[in-house]
Amino acid sequence: MNEQRRQILQMLVEGKITVDEAERLIDALVREQPESPPGAAPRPKPRPKYLRVVVSSPDNFGGDGPGRVNVRVPLQLLRAGVRLTSLIPPQALTQVNAELTKSGVPIDLTQLKPQHIEDLVEQLDDVTVDVDQPDAKVQVFCE
Amino acid sequence: MMPQLVTVRRRRHNGRWLRLYVPVLPVLLVLSPLLVLAVLVGLVACLATRVSPVGALRGTGQLLWALPGTRIEIEQGRTAVLVTVR
Repeated sequence: MNEQRRQILQMLVEGKITVDEAERLIDALVREQPESPPGAAPRPKPRPKYLRVVVSSPDNFGGDGPGRVNVRVPLQLLRAGVRLTSLIPPQALTQVNAELTKSGVPIDLTQLKPQHIEDLVEQLDDVTVDVDQPDAKVQVFCE
Repeated sequence: MMPQLVTVRRRRHNGRWLRLYVPVLPVLLVLSPLLVLAVLVGLVACLATRVSPVGALRGTGQLLWALPGTRIEIEQGRTAVLVTVR
């Protein structure tokens, strides 16, 4: 029992306020500080909306001074882009597969369904990549 | 939501900012004849490559509608480019 509620009950016992007044005060108190019932499930984490890529290099490349790249892309944009990949014609996919195999990357893109890529984007929420180098720092995360 | 304003800012070597505000809808209206032409060319390309034109249109629309909130900042020394889509 919190202190304010105890004070209200104390005033009721001492006869300073009526039962109705005590009830109204307690109601007001509950409205002011809504309590979560004990054992209730914690509130779900808000879903990230953006993918952030931050690259900073304190080094003076090209004598121009330090460089910094800060990109914020809506995850919805990634999803839309992924849906567009399903429109790549099969003959183009075959050519890409052949070139990938020639380059030593034997990935069959025809096996990659839009649903798989969507699942991948869904799971990006939890991805955090931190690369710390003396000359550069790269961060990829969702927010 | 459709993008409404694209802001391009560029910091020159002398440190001065060049700001360009592009209101998307008025620009699209002005360029609508070219846009119709581009859509027609796109449709022909879709038919030639056996890609569903409806799917392509829908995909492009979804891509455009998802653009608001995009922000790209690139800084190198005293020069910088900032692109924001709202």
